[in-house]
Amino acid sequence: MSKDVSIDVGGTFTDFVAYDRETRNLSVWKTLSTPHDPGEGIVRGLEDAGPAGEIEHLRFGTTIATNAVLERKGATVAYIATKGFRDVPFIQRGKRQSHYDITWIKSKPLMKRRHAFEVAGRITSRGEEYIPLDEAGVRKVAERIAADPRIEAIAVCLLFSYVKPVHERRVKEIFAEICPNKPVSISYDVLPKWKEHERSSTTLADAYIKPLVSGHLENLNTRFAERGVNKRIAAIKSNGGEMSLEAAAEAPIQMTLSGPTGGVVGAKQIARLAGVDHLVTLDMGGTSTDVSTVVDGRESFTTSFEIEFGVPIQIPMIDIRTMGAGGGSLAWIDKGGMLRVGPESAGAAPGPACYGQGGKRATVTDANVILGRINPENFLGGQMALNVDAAEKAVTKVADEIGKSPQETALGIVQIANNNMIGALRSVLTERGLDPRDFTLLAFGGAGPVHISDLMPLTNIPSGIVPNYPGQFSAFGFTMTDARIDVERTAPMTSKAFRREHANDVMNDLVRESTQALADQGYTAAIEIHRSLEMRYFGQNHELEVSINFESFDDDTITSIWQSFHAAHKARYNFDIPGETIELISIKVTAISATERIALPELPPASGNPEPIAQRPVVFDDGEHNAAIYNRTQLLAGHHLAGPALIEEPASITVIRPGQDVRVDTYGNLLLGEIAAR
Amino acid sequence: MDMVTMNIIDSAMVAICREMGVNVQKTAYSTIFSEAEDFTCALANPEGEMISVAEFCPAQIGGVPLLVRSMVKEIPEIEPGDVIIHNDPYRGGLHTPEHTMFKPIFVSDELMGFAVSIGHFVEVGGMVPGGFPGEATEIFHEGLRVPPVKLVKRGVDVPEVWKLLLSNVRTPRGNYGDLRALISAVDMGEKRMVELIEKYGKDVFRQTVSDLMDYSESRMRAEISSFADGRYTFEDCLEDDGIEAKEYWIRVAVNVQGDEVVIDYTGSSPQAKGPINATLGVAWSASYNAMLHLTDQTIPKNSGCFRPIRVISPAGTVMNVNYPGSEVGGNTETHPLIVACIFGAMSECAPHRVMASEGTTHGCFVFGGYDEENDEPFGAFDFTYVGYGGREFADGNDATDSINGNCANTPTEVFETRYPWIVEEYALRQDSGGAGEHRGGLSISKTMLCTGDVMISQMTNKHLRTSWGLKGGKRAIPGATLYQAKSANDWQTIKEAFGKVSSSKYSNVPIAPDERVSVKAPGGGGFGDPAKRDKAAIVEDVLEGYVSREKAMEDYGFEESWISKYAPDDSVEAAE
Repeated sequence: MSKDVSIDVGGTFTDFVAYDRETRNLSVWKTLSTPHDPGEGIVRGLEDAGPAGEIEHLRFGTTIATNAVLERKGATVAYIATKGFRDVPFIQRGKRQSHYDITWIKSKPLMKRRHAFEVAGRITSRGEEYIPLDEAGVRKVAERIAADPRIEAIAVCLLFSYVKPVHERRVKEIFAEICPNKPVSISYDVLPKWKEHERSSTTLADAYIKPLVSGHLENLNTRFAERGVNKRIAAIKSNGGEMSLEAAAEAPIQMTLSGPTGGVVGAKQIARLAGVDHLVTLDMGGTSTDVSTVVDGRESFTTSFEIEFGVPIQIPMIDIRTMGAGGGSLAWIDKGGMLRVGPESAGAAPGPACYGQGGKRATVTDANVILGRINPENFLGGQMALNVDAAEKAVTKVADEIGKSPQETALGIVQIANNNMIGALRSVLTERGLDPRDFTLLAFGGAGPVHISDLMPLTNIPSGIVPNYPGQFSAFGFTMTDARIDVERTAPMTSKAFRREHANDVMNDLVRESTQALADQGYTAAIEIHRSLEMRYFGQNHELEVSINFESFDDDTITSIWQSFHAAHKARYNFDIPGETIELISIKVTAISATERIALPELPPASGNPEPIAQRPVVFDDGEHNAAIYNRTQLLAGHHLAGPALIEEPASITVIRPGQDVRVDTYGNLLLGEIAAR
Repeated sequence: MDMVTMNIIDSAMVAICREMGVNVQKTAYSTIFSEAEDFTCALANPEGEMISVAEFCPAQIGGVPLLVRSMVKEIPEIEPGDVIIHNDPYRGGLHTPEHTMFKPIFVSDELMGFAVSIGHFVEVGGMVPGGFPGEATEIFHEGLRVPPVKLVKRGVDVPEVWKLLLSNVRTPRGNYGDLRALISAVDMGEKRMVELIEKYGKDVFRQTVSDLMDYSESRMRAEISSFADGRYTFEDCLEDDGIEAKEYWIRVAVNVQGDEVVIDYTGSSPQAKGPINATLGVAWSASYNAMLHLTDQTIPKNSGCFRPIRVISPAGTVMNVNYPGSEVGGNTETHPLIVACIFGAMSECAPHRVMASEGTTHGCFVFGGYDEENDEPFGAFDFTYVGYGGREFADGNDATDSINGNCANTPTEVFETRYPWIVEEYALRQDSGGAGEHRGGLSISKTMLCTGDVMISQMTNKHLRTSWGLKGGKRAIPGATLYQAKSANDWQTIKEAFGKVSSSKYSNVPIAPDERVSVKAPGGGGFGDPAKRDKAAIVEDVLEGYVSREKAMEDYGFEESWISKYAPDDSVEAAE
């Protein structure tokens, strides 16, 4: 027996998915999370996974790094900057969060100004040493920090280190000698990319969480060893790849946004199995919704994330947009009488009014209950009876204020919630030049399947998919991660003055560094290398990423990159500027070592039509319909059905609009709309 | 009113404006809009009312109605696929560098409105590279004036206009890119709006937009009603105009009458010879900006918000310049000073919704030269961040762009890669904020060593004047621009070193390799009596180095023993 086990540690629940490589059996369960000691919940849940020795590959995603930065519970960090620049993290980029908010208070960085130190030494933008590093000055600072018991970690960000890291590396050596017990993060290792505020902020965040995260990982490792889990153990990164625990302890910043990545990795797999090129994911939970895309079978990446306004972390991460809208979002009337939904949420306590836990205000879930879309008797598989009266009372209160009937109001609440979601979907599709008509919507999370059918026509997305276990889809995704390293370096040069040798040196360095890092973690299987360039017209300030498929810059390949850039610009912004000078900004390399793919279990084929378990009145946009209710566990491969219908399962309900087609595929995914007819 | 459809159409239009903005930002060349976001994307109805806008540059939104109206008046035949360009400050524009594009939105042959994009071009011709001639005395000195003309006609470029525009600027390659960026935004806005209007139908759309503006109007009226009726006055001045060493006063009377407000600038100084005059568009925009800060920020931003606000701005004054007066600094220096004056006036009836004076300048340090590596001229604009004023409930923010902009800096690593300077210091200025129960914010200082030949110009203020405090809060310290000759030890003002009238407003000063320039911005004023400041906050200011020990003793009576009492963990630093 050998198993893959994946664990997704969330705020309330820890989800487990285990896959048996021989029987191809997939099992799913959850335990309550233990925020005071996350390892406890993990170990307790693992007891249900069978003998520990059978676990070949254990992967886990955790929000411990995320929470440490968001809740500001990290270490006391000392910051080392170039002379004249210790205030960069305080000045930030000079912007306000919003224009007209007189109450706004500018965020502080993750360290105190009294712990910020400067050292003399200067590298120019062209990589020349203009002022040598003042080593005596560095030693003095190191001695002072070594003597200060409050300082737990050190972040170093020197100007132009991305061009030449010699000064930063020397600072690290001196600290290792004088102050060996405090971890040092240097900006070249964390983010060798220009723009000093973003680089220093990211480096500070790495140092800030390092003591805490390494402690947590050590604790976990010990517990795993005690239980006999002794094969491959990996942590999930923000880029959706995995890394060894040692690598995670070295660069904890890479874990900060790993939470929602599982859903996107899982989506990639579903896209492959369903033969779909482009997917957009909608992970809708109680308080927030995450959206992301898979284009041509690949997830989209970004490096822009802010802990708070003005405090960025620029690590490579799957581009997931989060918005504060979920089943628990509250409906309210603003000062001018307009109906609004969210971002305030009823949360887990008191929760929506229909939970009967004291919530008095109407939420999206309450509206769905009024509309008959959520079955009050079969919520969470019948574990929780919903209070329809409470939902009605809450919605009626809103209805009275805007002079509509409770049913019209419930429909309005759902429509506005849907509209908020359309905004999020638009931000990852049309705002990036992607046509929704080429996409399939993959909905999961408890509330995603409730809204998918409405959202498809509203966003012009013709097809939809509701996967198995929509409530635990993220943990499911973790069973399919590869080891993945994304590295990049800024190397600005223009098409007029292209420095070929430098470009080749940087690209070769990146390939060497990333393959070596994979090998150091024990990932040696079939390493794939992807290369890309960030370019722009010379004078623009934002880059477009263009993939390349060559290994070195020569006359032909250099000509080809300029052509590719013109074409990419035209495709993205509807215009190009032929003959214009182009600037190369960064070279990026991704190294991937694929892990063994799991083969998903298949359902037996259906004969005939599925039998509804009941009929119930449900309100849709065009009025009330008598909808057929199906039990998802009774559906078989090849079953067809059409809306108005509800498909119920323990963790969710899929709502099907009148006239919409549904087909069940071989693996049990629900296919909606155009794809159902294929 | 259908409150559900209204919510949906309003948020759809804001999303469209944002999407237009993303296009501008990603494709523009001038760092002032690609990095600093000094641009705006909006939608207007055929009558020129602004129906939606996304949050980019706050200085520009009040200008949209005037701009659209003057364009419609002068272009009688607007056809589908046209794009009209306009920058004329004497036809509703805010200042010469700001270029506006309009694209009509036609749905089945009927004009339903306009997609509008506005962006600040760094280089516009005129007497200095970078568009801010501190010594201009006529609009013609400031750059090329472009009345409303079609740049694209029925979807096809009008080559004559392009040629004319690009022949009159120093950096035609960059300006071409900026023009394309603004056009790509209105193209996108028009396309999305047609989809939206077709989806809801013209009648529902028109009705909803009209309801939406009524809605914003009613919310604004409710906010104004919450202020006590009365006549609230205030005044402050620009220290000089770059031409004559004398002060120019802005005098405001805010008359709150029930749910309306009349903002009256009668009594302000006659217009200046130098480029500090506000155009009528700036007077409106600044008044609206102040009112949007004073009221609930969640009110949807459209022309409805402005209906209960009347502005009286007599012609021939610094508050409404007559042709052909110069005006480029009116939009950068005078605008925030106007907002500060309105805050000062309203501090009497709404102290919780205002702040003491911020630095009220963007520094507007511009320079140009020749890029040898790429064999072409360059022009650049560099922001300097001020301190914000203290508030009834909090200290002023440090190092923030003045209130009529919301622009990001150019990082030093980008700055040095592009331009012939080495930045030696980019820091908060200790003691620059005014003392108070809530301290004024700190401004920044940027010191640069020149490594090539550049020509600098500047349009700033408060080298002599300072930001005032409120309710007993103290004044901040002034800004400065200092010059150091090669191998010299001492620093001089630009006025001393180059014989200029003003140290804060000047044109075309040549800087050679190994010379230094240091630009220091003014801090923000304090709020409330310094004696009431929380001692723990004073100790924290000292430990963090925001306030020096000497200044803390002088302003707050700081005593060394406070440290062990209020920050026992930090006695280590205190001992050093």
